[in-house]
Formats: sequence, structure tokens, C-alpha cells
Amino acid sequence: MNLQEHNVSDNNFEQCIKCTVCTVYCPVAAVNPDFPGPKQAGPDGERLRLKKNNFYDETLKYCLNCKRCEVACPSNVKIGDIIQAARIKYSEKKFKLRDFILANTDLVGTLSSPFAPVVNGVLGLRPTKAVLDSVLKIDHRRVFPKYAFGTFESWYKKNEAARQSSFPTQVSYFHGCYVNYNNPQLGKDLIKVMNALGVGVRLLDKEKCCGVALISNGFIEQAKKQAKMNIEAIRESVLAKNMPVIATSSTCAFTIRDEYPHLLSVDNADVREQVELATRYVYRLMARQGVKLKFKQNQKIRVAYHTPCHMEKLGWAYYSIELLKLIPNVELTVLDSQCCGIAGTYGFKKENYKTSQDIGESLFRQIEACDIDYVVTDCETCKWQIEMSTSKRCEHPISILAKALE
Amino acid sequence: MMKQDTAKPFDVIIIGGGATGAGTARDCSRRGLRVLLVERFDISTGATGRNHGLLHSGARYAVTDQESAKECIKENMILRRIASHCVEETDGLFLTLPEDDIAYQAKFVEACSQAGIRAEIIDPKEALRLEPSANPSLVGAVRVPDGAVDPFRLTASNIMDAKEHGATILTYHEVTELLREQNRIVGVKVLDHRTKEVKSYYASVVVNAGGIWGHNIAKLAGITINMLPAKGALLIFGHRVNNIVLNRCRKPADADILVPGDTICLIGTTSSRVPFEEVDDMRVTPEEVDLLLREGEKLSPLLARTRILRAYAGVRPLVASDDDPSGRNVSRGIVLLDHAVRDGMEGFVTITGGKLMTYRLMAEWTTDLVCKKLNVSAKCDTAEEKLPGSRESGEEVGKKIISMPKTQRNATISRHGDLAEKLARNTTTLDNSLVCECEEVSVGEVKYALNELDVHNLVDLRRRTRVGMGTCQGELCACRAAGLMSSLHKYCTRRAKEDLASFLNERWKGMAPIAWGDTLRESEYMAWVYESVCGLTLSQKQE
Amino acid sequence: MKFDTIIIGGGLAGLTCGISLQRHGQRCCIVSSGQSALHFSSGSFDLLNCLPDGKEVENPVEAVERLKLQAPEHPYVKLGKEKFEELAGSVVEFFSQAGVSVTGSACKNHFRITPMGTLKPTWLTLSEQVACEHGDRLPWKKVAIFNVTGFLDFYTQFIADEFHKLGTECVLREISFPALERLRKNPTEMRSVNIARVFDKRENVDELARVLKDGRGNCEAIAMPAIAGLARTDVLECLEREVGTRIALLPTLPPSVPGIRAQQQLRRAFEQAGGVYMLGDSVLRADMEGDRITKVYSYNHGNIPFVARDVVLATGSFFSQGLVALPGKVYEPVLGLDVEFVENRKEWYDMNVFAAQRYETFGVKTDNEFHGLLNGAALSNVYVAGAVLEGFDAIKQGCGAGVSILSALFVAEQILRK
Repeated sequence: MNLQEHNVSDNNFEQCIKCTVCTVYCPVAAVNPDFPGPKQAGPDGERLRLKKNNFYDETLKYCLNCKRCEVACPSNVKIGDIIQAARIKYSEKKFKLRDFILANTDLVGTLSSPFAPVVNGVLGLRPTKAVLDSVLKIDHRRVFPKYAFGTFESWYKKNEAARQSSFPTQVSYFHGCYVNYNNPQLGKDLIKVMNALGVGVRLLDKEKCCGVALISNGFIEQAKKQAKMNIEAIRESVLAKNMPVIATSSTCAFTIRDEYPHLLSVDNADVREQVELATRYVYRLMARQGVKLKFKQNQKIRVAYHTPCHMEKLGWAYYSIELLKLIPNVELTVLDSQCCGIAGTYGFKKENYKTSQDIGESLFRQIEACDIDYVVTDCETCKWQIEMSTSKRCEHPISILAKALE
Repeated sequence: MMKQDTAKPFDVIIIGGGATGAGTARDCSRRGLRVLLVERFDISTGATGRNHGLLHSGARYAVTDQESAKECIKENMILRRIASHCVEETDGLFLTLPEDDIAYQAKFVEACSQAGIRAEIIDPKEALRLEPSANPSLVGAVRVPDGAVDPFRLTASNIMDAKEHGATILTYHEVTELLREQNRIVGVKVLDHRTKEVKSYYASVVVNAGGIWGHNIAKLAGITINMLPAKGALLIFGHRVNNIVLNRCRKPADADILVPGDTICLIGTTSSRVPFEEVDDMRVTPEEVDLLLREGEKLSPLLARTRILRAYAGVRPLVASDDDPSGRNVSRGIVLLDHAVRDGMEGFVTITGGKLMTYRLMAEWTTDLVCKKLNVSAKCDTAEEKLPGSRESGEEVGKKIISMPKTQRNATISRHGDLAEKLARNTTTLDNSLVCECEEVSVGEVKYALNELDVHNLVDLRRRTRVGMGTCQGELCACRAAGLMSSLHKYCTRRAKEDLASFLNERWKGMAPIAWGDTLRESEYMAWVYESVCGLTLSQKQE
Repeated sequence: MKFDTIIIGGGLAGLTCGISLQRHGQRCCIVSSGQSALHFSSGSFDLLNCLPDGKEVENPVEAVERLKLQAPEHPYVKLGKEKFEELAGSVVEFFSQAGVSVTGSACKNHFRITPMGTLKPTWLTLSEQVACEHGDRLPWKKVAIFNVTGFLDFYTQFIADEFHKLGTECVLREISFPALERLRKNPTEMRSVNIARVFDKRENVDELARVLKDGRGNCEAIAMPAIAGLARTDVLECLEREVGTRIALLPTLPPSVPGIRAQQQLRRAFEQAGGVYMLGDSVLRADMEGDRITKVYSYNHGNIPFVARDVVLATGSFFSQGLVALPGKVYEPVLGLDVEFVENRKEWYDMNVFAAQRYETFGVKTDNEFHGLLNGAALSNVYVAGAVLEGFDAIKQGCGAGVSILSALFVAEQILRK
């Protein structure tokens, strides 16, 4: 009889055998007693919610979707997905201007970037912060990422587009909002590295924000719309033009690969394997085809790699770490893999500020104890958090690599 | 040790703490009788606690047994009113699958309307919209007012009302002898399983409401009732797959009802005759599991992919007609035997047959007969007066309990109805800690059950609170509950550990027939925790 | 990704094997699908407590010979007495080098205290737990047993009653102070690990020391749940110094703080030796050439395979999904190796939950060098270690940890010998 050969229900919460391992690794439950914890909010709660939807508890919003519970779970239960899916399905949260602003990273970026010096100045002012805090409930202690003057896209179109199409091998670059509006330099660094490997960097025909902030702030319809547009553009690149897609943001890559199908029901099966992180692409190229990079004999630098949560979930920190090890005169420490507490827009919210900083505390302490020049990480929001909460600067591995190239 | 109870006699002694016994205790006490109920184990341990928990609309019997169908729909409407906290108004669907004869549907609807059961033919698409888990290949659907009823809660609530009206309830008291004076039963001799004392109690009338075990009780009076134990096996699934009861629109057969109940759903039943020697230890065979799965999947294909929590079986007390000792001609209807008329034995009445749905009506008939014998003229009011727990709506109760976290409050109210307020009174944050995380049972709820609901061991506690009824089947909560019971109840820890060991064995009994996949993982984990880490062994019991 | 050895499974067996190989200059990768069973550890490791015939074992080294007749497929039988003794004798030192300090001997079981307060034979016990020499008495006359108020996974009354039977007098005390009140707001998360996090803070340790000192009276020892020292390893030491009394940490219901710390310590030792530990990934399939596995593919790494000379399967038993049971079949899901089991489901179980369950003895078949078998033939570069092996009942025989550690060490030797 094979009736029960695959007795795993949708979103597999019944595979949970109540071993409590997830509760050990939840960064939120450890510091915020208002969060029911991954076991309770996830598989246990799901069973109750299936009984009656009034078992949905708004405190699930404290989950920062780090997925560390999933990484730890010996039963492969998609605990984080269960919690996020429950928020999508049951939350009757009202529209909040604050969440709208935080969620629409590309809209806000488009508006801010032309006025970057003004916006950056104003956002740094104490009165602005007071208003943000009291009116919008964006915590006044938070340091905002600076907006760049002019976007990466416009720079690229003006300066690089033509040159990049002359490379025999090309990839499409999903730059994400951060590179576009805040840190175009990372995009430029990526082009430098890829070009050095003989690969041209193109942009997608149309890139929208990956939508991670929309999902976490409950703007699901909009997130779906953007996801569909992105997947269309990725299909065009991967299937029609035979150009794989790479990203520098671990969260963008993770969202497109996993959150689209799991939380937004946007099917990406035909292109998923072709969306990856730049460091993974570079690693494979070098490992498989023996392509070598030429490095300068730089001054010695000491760096510590921080594994972002979504990188831990992807399992890809290995590639970034191995690349860093290739650079001569880089002394690498790998920090314990733990959450920095920011989780995208989560830490910006006034109600989460303390939780966010409490979660990060142990990481900050470890960073401060290291004698290093930079922290290196693949996630932009981890960078903000680390730079705000420690005395160290934080760089992307691709930027470190670019700087070391001849 | 022999102890003669010299207290003043009772009007009526009821033997059996199932729904019928509890209902009879309630009815009798409400009519002013002095009532004693004795039960050899805990309440609802027999067939009451081992069935579908289906609040029959009667539709299932409409074609084959109009009388039963009419009784069902009448009692169905009464229970919705008087036992609202034990009932979920889910409605039911009778599905016609491609392999079924669609012509049966018309006959079925006609019979339902004759019995006074609202039966509405709906479009298969509409049926799937209402209940997405239903087999998508269905070709016909009829909607009827089925529902779910929690038999443990229902019985406990009847007991509580009886106690409020002065009844004495003695659980773990087994009748060993019927006390007889010439041709009259005047009382019972019972063994108190907990103290091992033997006591005698006297009453004008003794009611035998022992279910299938009523057969043996009648024997004590030298009376033969031709009962036929019919085993029915069921499977409990890990969560609610469906929210509307699913039935097959065909002549009643095996495994054709899927009932959502509390956090789970269950499929049943099989039907087979078993010898009397087996009724105390019903076990589900692999063949029965296979049959239930095969048929269940036809109602809802999702069942093939849903984890099974446990398998269990109950025994229906079928009664053969007195003039048919062969047992071929059995009745599923209510059987009320006045042994004075039938056997010339005064002061002794047996109530049996029937079904959970008609427990109240059975109690009413029995009480009518008892009252007649005692010349009491009080009228039955059990169809009108609400049971404890159902006197206020859940929403209203919820507003009064602010000290509990939301999910815990919902869970507690769904289990205890308006009594949740009493439970939540004087609780502290310490009491909000969860003992059972799957079912959200708090320390406060456990304390309440121990103090108010005649709980003597972990299994009793499970029946009152659902501790250990969740996915983990006690793996996390059993030990916590045992620890708590030993510290609150002040019973010795050796007994607490014995109790823990037997609780785990009781859970295993239901898990073993379906222990593959995740259930086997869970079993292995449970063995690690309790045997390897805690060092709990059988010898605990033998010490 | 090129490694010398890829180890599938990151629990006790996988880590032991990995550390051993790394120490001998290999470069290994451990792929672990989730955290291991060490998270529910008692804080002790069993070697052999009981023979299949029910006879209790005092000296595992002597008893191991008798397994030959009673359980011919037992991993210890494959090792043989000499190897068993040699490997078992090396473990205390092996662990200590990895930063896990244990006491015990393979020639004489000692006794650990269970969460129920009883004494149970065992092989090695973490240094901060209690290792009792005798099975019928405790090393103290009078003990103060402390519990955190409202902590439901530790039962002082159970323990006290058992201690009484062993001739030790007990007083019961509660620990309750403000830093813990915040935890209590959450109805479920008053768990051992979260309490341990509170006591990882220096100021709370001082406060705890005061509470213990005030409450211990004239007791010669303090017993309390193992809720001290998750991130920090010196909490117990600090407490004992401050209080001036021997403090016995007793195991709790899961999660197990000492077990988690041991797991983390072993992982750290593996990584410090240069090993790569990949958590939360699952091996999906492998490429074969002849009797060898050439490449291993995982969920996370998709089209980038792991390439290694040798592969170790240390995926655990049913719990860890190293073995999967269907209604009439048990299989090994990662590499599809041959599994020993009986088809008739009725024979898998005993209806008494505390009796030996036959399913516990099911597992992957190997030759005497622990090469995994596929369709009856040994795979030359695939080794099997730990709970996924056939032929033993970890629960009844009390040999789970021993099988994991010794088979892993043996497999590492086989790999290194090539």
C-alpha cells in the first residue's frame, strides 16, 4: 500500500515532532518575550489556525523571517515560511504610512536619489528624526543609509552599456534597490570583477525591487506584481538570451529564488537555478574553468566575514569565504553565524528597535573584540546595522575583491 | 477491607459514567432525586469517548431507519442549544462519487425531508468551494445539518450539572455485586480502585447504563441481555483537513464519515463483531488501518498525504431482540428494559443501545421510568436548560478574560465554554505557562481540572483538557503534567511516575498501528526522552 | 567543491569522524540537515549498559565479546574486542582535545542522575554533570535541590523522593528573581536554553550565587537543573567558587543545555581544525562510477557538486531521517543503501512501549569495514557510521553514543589508512 508514502501536508508543519530545537536558535524569542517563539508561532500555531482563524495572533509580526529556525530544524519543517504565510493569510493589519514608506524601497529611492545631498542631510537632522519617530514610528536612534546622487542604472546606461555588450560571455545583474540608490559603487565593483574574468555585465530589461520589504510589511499584492515582472525579465534573460542572473544582495537572491514560490506562489522553477549570487558565480567560474584573477600585492588587510541570515539559509557563505581566502594579504576571520538584528525594515520600526539591538548585541561584541579593518558581508542591511552599532566599516566581498585586483 | 456505608440511601444509583449515565444522573438530579453515579474507570472511557464525535443530523439513517433519523435531528437541534460549547456547527455534505449510484441521492433527500432533516442538493462546484478538501471528482452533493460534538466535554458537563443538583459521582468505583433482597435489587457493592475499599450503597432503583459492559452487570442480577459487541475502528489525523463533515451518499458502509473535531479530524469506522473477552482491550489491526485509509481517501484525497496521529476502536453495544437469540436482528435504536416487567426483578432498569446523539433522550426515558417507579411527577427539563459551560457565548466570556494570551484564551474557552471565566479567576502569570504546547493547555487549566473536574490521573486529565492529544501525543507535556500533578495533588511521586508510564503506554497503543513516517520518528524521540534520558522503565511500575 | 572526505550528517558520529580526519590533515566537509540529537542529550554518553538478553553490563570491554552470539550484526562485533577497547580508551583524550571535558572508563560503567532522580549506568559524563561511582547511593548525605520557579521541565519532587530512597536527605528550594520575570511573560519560552541565556550574564550569575548560598543551609551539595552556561563555559565554576559548595547540574527535559554546548564545542573544534560545516542543507543524490561515489549533490548547492575521495554516511536513525519508514518498508533516503528490516509491520513493535522495539535494530547494512552495501555489494569509498547502522538497539542496550563515536573513529581510521 502506498497511500501514505508521502504523508506530508502542504507546508509540512506536521513533520514537526516537537523536539524544540528551533526555539534554541530563534534570535527573537531569546530577547523579546512578546514573540511566541518559532515552534508556537509556526507548526503548533498553524494547527490551531486551521481549526479556526481567530487563533491567529498579531504577535507573529515580531518574527524577523531570518529562517534560522529552518536551518536548525532536524525535520525540514519550513517554520519561517509557515509564520510568514500565516501573516499573509490571516493578518488584518491596517495600512500604515510608515510601513508603506519602508516597504517601497524603489519608490522612495527614485524620489530621494535626485536630491541625495539634501535628503541625506535632512534625514540626519535631529528634528527630522524626532518627526519620523513620533509621527511615523521610525526609531530616532536609527542611522539611515545614505542616498547616492544619481542611480546605478542611469550611470550604467550612460557609461557602460555599450562596452559590456562586447564581452563574449555575459550575465544579467540584478542590482537591487541598494546598489541602485545607495551604493552604485558596489555595482561598479562587480563590473570590474566580472570584466576581469572576461564576463560582461548587463542589466535586466526591467528590474523591480525584489519585494522583500513589501512581503514583510504585508503589501502582498504589490509584491506579487513585482515578482511576476521580475520573473518575466529573468526568463527573458535566462531562456531567451542564455544569460544567467547574478545578484550582489543575498536577500534579493534569496527572495527571488525561495520566497517567490513559497510565499507569493509565483512559479520560478524554470529559472531558479540560474539566479545566484555573484560570489557563487565567480567561485564556480574559477573552480570549474580554472579562470584566474590577477591580484595586486596589496597592503595586508584584516577582515571578518559575517554570515547574513539569508546567506545561512542559502548555504552560500562558503563561496564568499573561499573567494576572500584567494586574495593575497587578506587575513580572514569567520564570525559566528548569528543574526545582526536588523532584518531589512524590521529594525527601523520604533517598536522593534530594542529587540533588534538586543539580538545584534552578541555579534557586535564579537566584532569589537576582533582586530580587523573591515567586516565583510553580502547583505546591505546587515551592513547598515553593523556600521551603526559598531566602530567598524562593512564592505561587500565583491568590493574587497575589486579593490585587490590589478 | 470491607466498609459498610451507613449514609442515608439514594433514590437511584446509576452504573456507568458514559454519556447516557451522566445524562441520566443529570436528569434524575434535576428532578429532585438523590443520585449516585458509579463508574469503574473515568467518565466517558467506553463507547462514549471512542466514536466519531459526529453530531448526526440523522441523514445517515434517513433511508434505512426513519425512527433513528427523526430522533437524531431532534436531539441535534437540542444539543446545539443546550451544549453549545461542546458542539461545532459545521454542517455536513453527502458526496456522491463516480462509483456511487447517483439515483440514491433523490431517495436520500426524500427520506431526509420525511424525517424533517433539511437536505439541500448543491452543485458539486459549490460543494468544493465550501469544502475544498472534498474529493474533486464528486458528481453530487447534499448539504445537511451535521456537526461535531465533543463527547468528553459533553459528558463532563452533564456530570457537572448533576453535581450542581446534588448528585454524588464516584469514579474508579467498580460494581462487584448487585445487592438483592428477594426479587428486588436494593443497591450495589463497589470496589474503590484507588483505596481498594469495598463499599455498599443502597437505592430504590438501580440503573444499568454500562454500555457493552452492561451485559455483565445484568448478569450480576442473573439476567441475560443478548448484547453483541461491535468493534468500530477510527483514525485520527494530525490536523483539520476538512471543516465540514464529509459523508458518502450511499447505503451506510465502512469508513465513510470524515469528521472535523477540535484540532483534528477523524475517519471511521470499520465494523466487526468481537468476542466479549476483547472489549476491554480493543486494538486496531493493520488491515483496519488500510481499509480506513483506502476508503477515507475517497472522501478526501488529502488524507493520503496527512499525518495520522493515532488509531483507536470503540465497542458499540448492539442489542439483539429478545425473541432472536441468534443476534441477526439487532437494533441500533434505544433499548430501555424494565426488568420488573421483563424478568420479574424489581428496582432494576437497563438502558442501552442508542447512540451518543440520543444520550439525552435515553436519559429522559430512563428518568421517566425511574420517576414512575418512585411516584415522582417532576417533568424533564434537560432539553431546555443549558449545560454548564454553554450558558454564555464564547465571545462574551472572552471579553471577561484579559489575563491570558490570545491563543491560550481561545483554546481554553473552546474547551470550557463559560467555565473558562472561573478557571481564569485568580490566576497569575505562572499559571499561564503552557503544559501542553500543541493544544495550549496552561498550568492554570491543569490546576482547574485537578480541583474541579474529578481528575485522578494523566489520562483523566487528557479527557478534560486535551493534554497529550496533540501532535506530540504527550512527548513534551506528559512529564510536565505528571510533575505538576505530583506537586499539586500531593500524591506520591512513585504513583506519579507509574501514572506517567501508563499514560505513555496508552498513547503508544494508539500510535503503534500507524507508527511509520513521522509517527515512528516521534515514537523514537519519545523513547529517547523518557527511557534513555529520564530512565523511565517498566520496573517503575513493578517497584 | 573539492574535499578529501564529505560527511553526510553533523551529529555526534559525523563530527567525531570529521574532527579525527581533520586532525590527520584531511580537508572535510560536513553537510547536516538540521541540528542533531545531541540537543536532547542527558549530558552523558553510554557505551554498553545492557546485553540484548537483558543482562546488565558493568564492564563494557568484557561484555562486548558476548554480543557476538546475541547480536551478530552489532557494530561492536564488527569492530572486535581489541579495536573496541582501543578506540573506547582513546575517547576521553579525543574529546578533551576538542574542548569537551568528560570523565569515565570503558572498563567500568559509572552512574548518572536522570531527570527523574534515578541512577542510570553510563560511560562518559560531561565534567560539570555528576558521575556517581555506585548505582545504589549518591556521594552526598544532604542536598539542597533548587529549581527556577515555574520551570516545568525539571521536577524537584521526583528527584527528592528518589534521592531519599538512595539515602540522601533533601531540602527543596526555589530560584526566583527579576531577570527571569521577563521570560515568564511568554507562556512557552521558559525553556532551559532561555534560562541559561539569562545566566550567561555575569550580574545574574552573581545574583544566582547569592540565592544558592542563602538557600543551601547545611547541605554539602546543591543540585539544580542544567540551565547554566550556554554561551559561557565558566558559569558553574564561578558559581561553585562564589557559593563554596559542590553544585551538581542535573539534566532537564529537552532542549539540553549541556548537549547543545557539547555540539557547539565539537563543531567549533572541527571548524578550527579547518573543516567546513554546512548546516541546513540536504544531500539529494550522488553520481556513481563502478563501486564508487564520485559526486554528491545537495539542495542548497544545486549544480555545484561536492567532490571527494570518500563519503561518510552518518545521518542518524529515524528521528534524524537517516532511515525512513513507510507502512511496509524501511529505506535509507540519501544514497539508497541496503537496509536491514522486516516487512511485516506487526513485527516492528512491542505493544508495551517500554519493551524492546524491533524497529530500533533496523539500519543500513555494511561489511566489517563499515562500507555501505548497495544491492548486496560494498561500495569502496562509502562508509557508514552512527545511529543509521543496523544491528543494535540504542535505547535498550544503552549504546547509542558509543556506537556513534566508535564507528566514526573506526571509519576515520579506514579512510586514513588508504
